[in-house]
Amino acid sequence: MREARRRAGLTQTELAERTGTTQPAIARLETGDTEPSFRRVVDALRACGLELVPLIREADQSDWSVAAGNLRLTPSERVANHQRAVRFAESGREALLDARS
Amino acid sequence: MPGPEFRPEEMLRVLAKHGVRSVLIGGFAAVIHGSPYVTTDIDVVPDASVENLERLSSSLRELHAKVWTPDEPEGLAFYHDPVSLASSRTWNLVTDFGRLDITFEPSGTAGFADVARDAVGLTILGVKVDVASLADVIRSKEAAGRDKDRLVLPVLRSLLAETT
Repeated sequence: MREARRRAGLTQTELAERTGTTQPAIARLETGDTEPSFRRVVDALRACGLELVPLIREADQSDWSVAAGNLRLTPSERVANHQRAVRFAESGREALLDARS
Repeated sequence: MPGPEFRPEEMLRVLAKHGVRSVLIGGFAAVIHGSPYVTTDIDVVPDASVENLERLSSSLRELHAKVWTPDEPEGLAFYHDPVSLASSRTWNLVTDFGRLDITFEPSGTAGFADVARDAVGLTILGVKVDVASLADVIRSKEAAGRDKDRLVLPVLRSLLAETT
């Protein structure tokens, strides 16, 4: 909500006026101190001239699975993994160039 | 306990040693075609025949493959045979040599035969690898439509235009 309000160039008071509520209520909305209804979020975004586009899609954790593994590595180990990846990739690119020529 | 060192060539060497028919696809195939977005996991599309899944199962045993889950980043041991491997479209695995994703039907494709048709056979660090064509990598990523795919697609399309 904070991002939306700022994108719209509104103050909390101005957004409160547009949505018929109070500035403290908007502040609570932005800090996550309240659990607003979906309808209220949609209306508040519309008051900012924006719309919420919900997407239903398959969960994909393939990148997180790599990142979670990286969390258990030291920075040096992470760099070493990337160096090995780059070494493999460079060899692959050379092989691809050879195959094309 | 730290995760395993990422050694893609060793992962693929074990698959090749067991005679697994598969195609390298996804981010690493894209990297070989010139993508600047280097990944530290590999995605393969295996032939789903029973004989090949038997070979795949043997290779996964040698790789000490475990199922990756958010709660068990070091992986959960799992029983696998051709039937159980074929029962899921995708396997996210942790192996002795890093993360390995097995996908039988990447988005936008009909599986192994579809992506093998235009794959290029390469020898990389002494390992024979069939790498999906860049057009097929793009097709798959376009169909998957994930945020990370949308990020790389513009440069992949430019690479395809430059190399065809």
